[in-house]
Amino acid sequence: MKLRRRSTLDEEDESINVSPLIDVVFILLIFFIVSATFVTLPGVDVSRPRVEKSTSLQKNSVLFALSEKNEIFHAGKSVQLNEVAPLITQAIKEKEKPVVIQVDQWADATLLAKIVSAAKKVAPSVSLATLKNR
Amino acid sequence: MKRKPTIFQKEETEINVSPLIDMVFILLIFFIVATSFVNEVGISSTYKDSSSQTDSKRKPLSFTLPGSGQVLLDGTPIGLEGVAPKVRNSSVYEPPSVIIQVSGGAKAGLATQVMDQALLAGAKAVKLTAVSQ
Repeated sequence: MKLRRRSTLDEEDESINVSPLIDVVFILLIFFIVSATFVTLPGVDVSRPRVEKSTSLQKNSVLFALSEKNEIFHAGKSVQLNEVAPLITQAIKEKEKPVVIQVDQWADATLLAKIVSAAKKVAPSVSLATLKNR
Repeated sequence: MKRKPTIFQKEETEINVSPLIDMVFILLIFFIVATSFVNEVGISSTYKDSSSQTDSKRKPLSFTLPGSGQVLLDGTPIGLEGVAPKVRNSSVYEPPSVIIQVSGGAKAGLATQVMDQALLAGAKAVKLTAVSQ
């Protein structure tokens, strides 16, 4: 009699309680929903210049990249200089966003100056992405 | 004997949470994949357009970056280390504006570093312009 009762008790215990799992998964889900900003990355790796004074930039921004070979990238595609302003205008149509340019330190500075001046005409603020000097 | 059906019913009313968990997991994976943590640090070149340039009585400091990789101020090479002292010297009365003129062949890294040095020394605004030779 005793033995049988114990075995039935064991069987009941065997089913895993999933409520803590659901709790944790919900917390993770909410964290990722809140932190999701959906930024389209330029899709090119650049070596950023190292500077001394740098501030944290806004996360939700329109990103451009200027590669070592003097190509401009936006959302994974190579674009021309005259396409920069229309692309920004389109991107900030619904919500004001700052423009961040990821510039390679060996890129041509004149092209950078042209991109910055083109972006400044349409965007509220233009920043250059750098590395923090350690 | 009559009680048995009620027990059976009680078991049936328990909510099956597995589809819920499945759905939540799918959402979770979607958001993990879609989230791109862009955490950039950088500098902003804050320069008002040419219209507001006139209300400053003093001429902006103009650094020139030729293709040779030097930093020139009024034609004399000062080097990257010389930028911050020059800006500091001229910021006695009010912080100066700085214009960085770059010509073809100058590297963007150097231009960014000059901008950084100027901002570090207290420049009010920094502008990057390209000069055609």
